[in-house]
Amino acid sequence: MSALQLVSARRRRTDQVMRGVLGVATLIALVPLALILFYLLSKGIGAIKSGFFSSDPNLSQCFPHVPGAPPPPPCNIGGIRSAILGTVEIVGLATVIAVPLGIIVALWLTEYGKESPLANIVRYFVDVMTGVPSIVFGLFVYTLLVVSHVGGDAVGWKGALAVALLMLPIVIRSAEVVLLLVPSSLREAALALGSPRWRVVTRVVLPTAGPGLITGSLLAIARGAGETAPLLFTIGAAHVLTGNLGQPMNSLPTQIFSDLGQNTSAFVDRAWGAALTLVAMILLLNLIARAISRRSRLA
Amino acid sequence: MEAHATTVVSGGRSVLDRSPLGRLPDQVLKFGLAGVAAGVLVLLAGFLAVLISESSSAFGNIGVFHFLFRNNWDTSQLQQGAACATGSHCTFGAWPMVVGTLATSAIALIIGVPIAVATALFLTELCPRRARGPLSIVVDLLAAVPSVVYGLWGFIVLAPKLRGVQQWLANTFSFLPFWGGQVAGPSYFLAGLVLAIMILPIVSAISREVIATVPPENKEAALALGATRWEMIRMAVIPYARPGITGGAMLGLGRAVGETIAVAYVIGGSTTLGHSIFQQGQSLAGVIALQFGEAQSTPLYKSTLFAAGLILFVITLLVNLVARRYVVRAGRGKRVGGGDAAPGIAEAEPEPSPA
Amino acid sequence: MSTRRIGALALSLAAALVVAACGSSSSKSTSSSATSSAAAGSGSGSSSGKGTINGAGSTFAAPIYNQWGQNLSSQGLTVNYNPLGSGAGIAGLQSATVDFAGSDPPMKSTEVKAAKGPVLQFPIAFGAITVSYNLSGVKAGLKLDGKTIADIFLGKVKKWNDPEIASLNSGVKLPSTSITVVHRSDSSGTTQGFTTFLAAYSPEWVSTVGKPAKTAKWPTGTGAPKNAGVASAVKQTPGAIGYVEQAYALQNGFTYAAVKNKSGTFVLPTLQAASAAAEGIKIPSDLTVTTINSPNAAAYPITSQTFLIAYKDMCKAGRSQSAAAGVKKFINYGLGPGQKVEESLDFAPLPSSLLSKAQAQVNQLECNGSPVS
Repeated sequence: MSALQLVSARRRRTDQVMRGVLGVATLIALVPLALILFYLLSKGIGAIKSGFFSSDPNLSQCFPHVPGAPPPPPCNIGGIRSAILGTVEIVGLATVIAVPLGIIVALWLTEYGKESPLANIVRYFVDVMTGVPSIVFGLFVYTLLVVSHVGGDAVGWKGALAVALLMLPIVIRSAEVVLLLVPSSLREAALALGSPRWRVVTRVVLPTAGPGLITGSLLAIARGAGETAPLLFTIGAAHVLTGNLGQPMNSLPTQIFSDLGQNTSAFVDRAWGAALTLVAMILLLNLIARAISRRSRLA
Repeated sequence: MEAHATTVVSGGRSVLDRSPLGRLPDQVLKFGLAGVAAGVLVLLAGFLAVLISESSSAFGNIGVFHFLFRNNWDTSQLQQGAACATGSHCTFGAWPMVVGTLATSAIALIIGVPIAVATALFLTELCPRRARGPLSIVVDLLAAVPSVVYGLWGFIVLAPKLRGVQQWLANTFSFLPFWGGQVAGPSYFLAGLVLAIMILPIVSAISREVIATVPPENKEAALALGATRWEMIRMAVIPYARPGITGGAMLGLGRAVGETIAVAYVIGGSTTLGHSIFQQGQSLAGVIALQFGEAQSTPLYKSTLFAAGLILFVITLLVNLVARRYVVRAGRGKRVGGGDAAPGIAEAEPEPSPA
Repeated sequence: MSTRRIGALALSLAAALVVAACGSSSSKSTSSSATSSAAAGSGSGSSSGKGTINGAGSTFAAPIYNQWGQNLSSQGLTVNYNPLGSGAGIAGLQSATVDFAGSDPPMKSTEVKAAKGPVLQFPIAFGAITVSYNLSGVKAGLKLDGKTIADIFLGKVKKWNDPEIASLNSGVKLPSTSITVVHRSDSSGTTQGFTTFLAAYSPEWVSTVGKPAKTAKWPTGTGAPKNAGVASAVKQTPGAIGYVEQAYALQNGFTYAAVKNKSGTFVLPTLQAASAAAEGIKIPSDLTVTTINSPNAAAYPITSQTFLIAYKDMCKAGRSQSAAAGVKKFINYGLGPGQKVEESLDFAPLPSSLLSKAQAQVNQLECNGSPVS
């Protein structure tokens, strides 16, 4: 007698209904994504002409063609090259700061701190920091570093610091969740075999949690790359290409922000092209990171 | 002892035999990690200190209780030399923003978390293996969209399209409290909906990680006892994964509470309190984002926006306290750090995560 | 193992970043001398007006400063302007983190006191705040006066064919559509100008909503962020009315009202009418004119002004000598050929009386006591 025959019709129905519910929920989750991507594509793809990625933004005003009036001078909005480089450098620096720091703190919380009062305080703080609006991080760095003229006024690395502050609690929180999932039996087995604590951490805990840590870090990077507010007051408003984090820089979110408020539609189109580029870059990063983690897991 | 105790992992002697020098890396690790954690704590405390000091002027001139509970965001009172600076006849208050933040975050959690968890369950348990990877990438793609795009899309596309739906909802269920009224497009409800979409990827990704590490023995045991697929999920997966899922939901809540630009675009920007969730309002984070540029030159105005940030800090703290207590109580009796289904069974490699 | 790979990846990423950050920017820069000089700290005195200057402030004036900067880049001057809002610009100037600030309302004496030294305020341009509407069948030029507009924004006038509107527009067929008010949800100098105008004609506005400020407790209507948000909301909603900046309204073909000015004439928001608002008014010695509700008969009454503000002695305030020279060059250009440029951008230039006074004020710019060359 197969097990299925022992299952009452009611339970079978519940099973099918719930399976359907879960499937429908997934579809519901995908609908807004499709709509947003479609909207982004439709508005942004028109701006991505030749030279969009190889030239810097041109600030000359572009005039729409008013019917009946003589045609306006040809419009050259330039491209978003300086913004792309700026985002790569700023988010890159923020990642280098926030991800290792975050994983270290999460490691301490799960391996050593556990339920001690200090660890609980750190946990509460970190939880609360995930809810702070991104603009407050920017204002914090602005108040502390920009107004006091430490190392220049509004420059690239200060924006990277603000983004790192934004990413840090997310990395810590998600890493802690993932590290807690490593079965303690694995740890205990390694310890029982005589391995010192540090080896348990580096050779057992971290590799097991590795893919999850990467997922959490990617979430934080995606968040950090898309936020305008930490950068508004901290990186200045340059538009020429500069690789120097010690100077005012451009970035994709701030370029989008300033373009969207413009009078003429050509700049707004540039903003959408930039938004599309940003999403594509993060998608690329996601794919690369997953490919790496999958290959390393099979190794 | 040594001959049999040489291991694949340590390649050395057992811990009991190690010299103090051999214990050094462990000490370095322990104190190094603790040092970094303490450093981060100092940084966060410093952050809080700056918040408090910048908002002290606002609380001093307006009073904490009045700032929180008065329904009057009248910034003309904040100009130099006017009512609030001298303390008399000052009726300024941020209550509409507090309500806005709580309402939109609650709606976002109520709509977003169940869908995110359901998506995670579907992707890990029910989805055919080959589709798992691409589909999860697609869901995670929602996290890649910048918040300003969410705001604009919500304002330009979603608000006009959903006006009819919102009006229908408002009219049909108008007997509920805080329901009904005239719908203009942007509203608390719309903001909550957009926030739900924004927190989907976070909650879903973390839930997927958590659900993927449920020990297969638990699931197989349930199935062996004759449970249907859904019953297996209900009995073996969800209880095990609940603390982790709650962690993901807390991250999602953090995002919802702190989201600035997207909410600012779709909540309507009204500085008075709406009477129903289909009317317009403002959130604490939104008001900071929209008004900070202009507020910077007026010290008291700037201070009120920092004060709004501090209130957000406290709200998140309180909600997290409550959530942690609930999770701890619910999780008591279950091994939070991961447990074996049955002792003696060797722990197999955790099921490969689809993320 | 995966840890090693992750570690290697992180290391190479960090190395790449360090190389990029430390690498000289000038080899990749497209503009000429530009980014290597200037920023904070005392410069070594290149007084030819080359280099980079940083400004922040009014979003209203951003197109002007950006265009001037673009035109001057061929002469070696790079202008970075951050349109964060007038308040942010003033705050940046007060802490001397920018070389100049753009602000629609002039700096108040209390704000100047909080700065690092005396400042010079240069009027740059004027812009009308149009009252734009979306009403099929009604052309541009609907006549409205201050009291009626205030009543609309107070929510007392709910339909387009209300007697209050009809009495001003005999002969115009007004539909019975409901009025949807659209206002700014963010803090803005444009809101301040608009509410200043309303307060002058409607005591009820002041008692219900409050004194003119950069935000208002709008009793009715939808909020939209920024000028572009209000414009898009007005365009999308039949029967909507909102206040939209002139350059935006002109370039996007909006229908706007003719508003009754102080002398009783109904005036359309043209560039000439906006410039006229600055003529015949009292010009204070520090040139901080306000053009709302101007008494000039040809003036558009809801005209706003915008200023470029810099320290009188930039070097004493902490900015570099080359930045001081750059700012002087920028202002001279702006008050010279820049006036024609801003006209082509749909902003109203300064009338000649005010312009000559502003040009004379440029000579007051100093660096450590001696005039900037």
